[in-house]
Amino acid sequence: MTAEAWLLLGQVWVWIGLAVAAVLVLWGAGAAEENARGAWAFRLLLVPGAVLLWPLVALRLGARLRGEAPGLAAHRPPRRAQDGAALLLALFVPTALGTAMAIRQDGPRHAAAVLLEAPEGSGEASGEAGASE
Amino acid sequence: MSVRYVPVQWTRNKWVYDAVLVVCVAVYVLGFIWSGNPAADATRPVDGAIVRMRAWGSCAFLMLTLVLCIGPLARLDARFLPLLYNRRHFGVLTALVAFSHAAAVLGWYYAFSPTPAWEAVLTSAVGWDRLAGFPFEMLGVFALVILAALAATSHDFWLSFLTPPVWKALHLMIYPAYAAVVGHVALGYLQDVGNPAFPGVFVSGALAVAGLHLAAWRRGPAAPAAAWIPVPGWRAIPENRAAVVRVGPDERAAIFRIGGALSAVSHACAHQNGPLGEGRVIDGCITCPWHGFQYRPEDGCSPAPFTEKIPTYRLKLEGGEVFVHRDADPPGTYQAPLVLPAREAAA
Repeated sequence: MTAEAWLLLGQVWVWIGLAVAAVLVLWGAGAAEENARGAWAFRLLLVPGAVLLWPLVALRLGARLRGEAPGLAAHRPPRRAQDGAALLLALFVPTALGTAMAIRQDGPRHAAAVLLEAPEGSGEASGEAGASE
Repeated sequence: MSVRYVPVQWTRNKWVYDAVLVVCVAVYVLGFIWSGNPAADATRPVDGAIVRMRAWGSCAFLMLTLVLCIGPLARLDARFLPLLYNRRHFGVLTALVAFSHAAAVLGWYYAFSPTPAWEAVLTSAVGWDRLAGFPFEMLGVFALVILAALAATSHDFWLSFLTPPVWKALHLMIYPAYAAVVGHVALGYLQDVGNPAFPGVFVSGALAVAGLHLAAWRRGPAAPAAAWIPVPGWRAIPENRAAVVRVGPDERAAIFRIGGALSAVSHACAHQNGPLGEGRVIDGCITCPWHGFQYRPEDGCSPAPFTEKIPTYRLKLEGGEVFVHRDADPPGTYQAPLVLPAREAAA
């Protein structure tokens, strides 16, 4: 995909997100959440999240309005996933740092300056260039 | 607790916490800029604009590192629990600092061309097939999008609306975001820098995050096999405190000792799935160490007028040992506290 296509996709995503955010802010929040009824000031804070995650918001809004309750699942945080993510991070960090140091190349300012020999024939070329100035 | 939502539930402690955070960020960024020759013009290898973007960028990295260290630190040592309090505001401020870094980068490296800045970012991202010269900027963009999503869903509404497990799973994206930030710095700034000061801080911080998570993971309770799971060390549970027992792949029970009896509830708070078993009993209610949500030990219900409920577990005393059943009862189910023999109750 080209850069223009990615940016167009981003714009479409944001426009749909704004539509979902409008539904959530004006009606959905109060319909789905008892604690949101009659509370309006906080709803402006919901706009960025709804724009960024509108597919998830639309799915959850539908589920809440159908009366689907999470039941005991609401009390089962993804501990295995968290353990796995933490372990992967613990492995990734030293690997990434080691790799970064291994591929690092010292720049010109770290190395002693070396006087290069002029390539053959360059004297004429530079002489001509100099003459033209 | 469950009350009508407001934009921010301020308390005196939150004001102090946030004020300290903002002052620390301001002192760090201004100090970094002041010490880095901010007046240097574009003929210098590091000019004023680069100093400013490095100030914001390094600040965001350090804040993200601290945010990620707080969780395992609090798990390893309860004295760090106060840092956990209000961590969400810490995360939101981290996202704002990261956006300031991105704005500084866009306002310098991508500002002097007829091509729109974001289009220039995308078109200049080449070299995906090699490490030296990898488009590390895109790792930063990836982390920025995740930080934006996490900050945008930090309000309590999202927690309840998405349900705690979905919200928690979403916020686990902080781990790939941190990995991307490590890659962003390692393949970008670290390839070029000559002064060893920040690379030292960066490597130490990243390794601290990795080491602390590894240490906290190793301290986790072992997985059970039978329906009734022994509660090891139940005699040593202090009054008004709990022991945590793993009862399933993703489930843990917190067994509290209260007035010579034991009660078992879910280890996950209904609010943010905070570690209830690391809390204590205050005014007869189990109190979450993260945000103070409270539950009655016998039925897992918050006291009126609040409406939160957590699952409870059955306990039994057999052969002088205490067992907890691996299957949770529905949230709010009454379980009579397991009264201990007088000899044990006094222990």
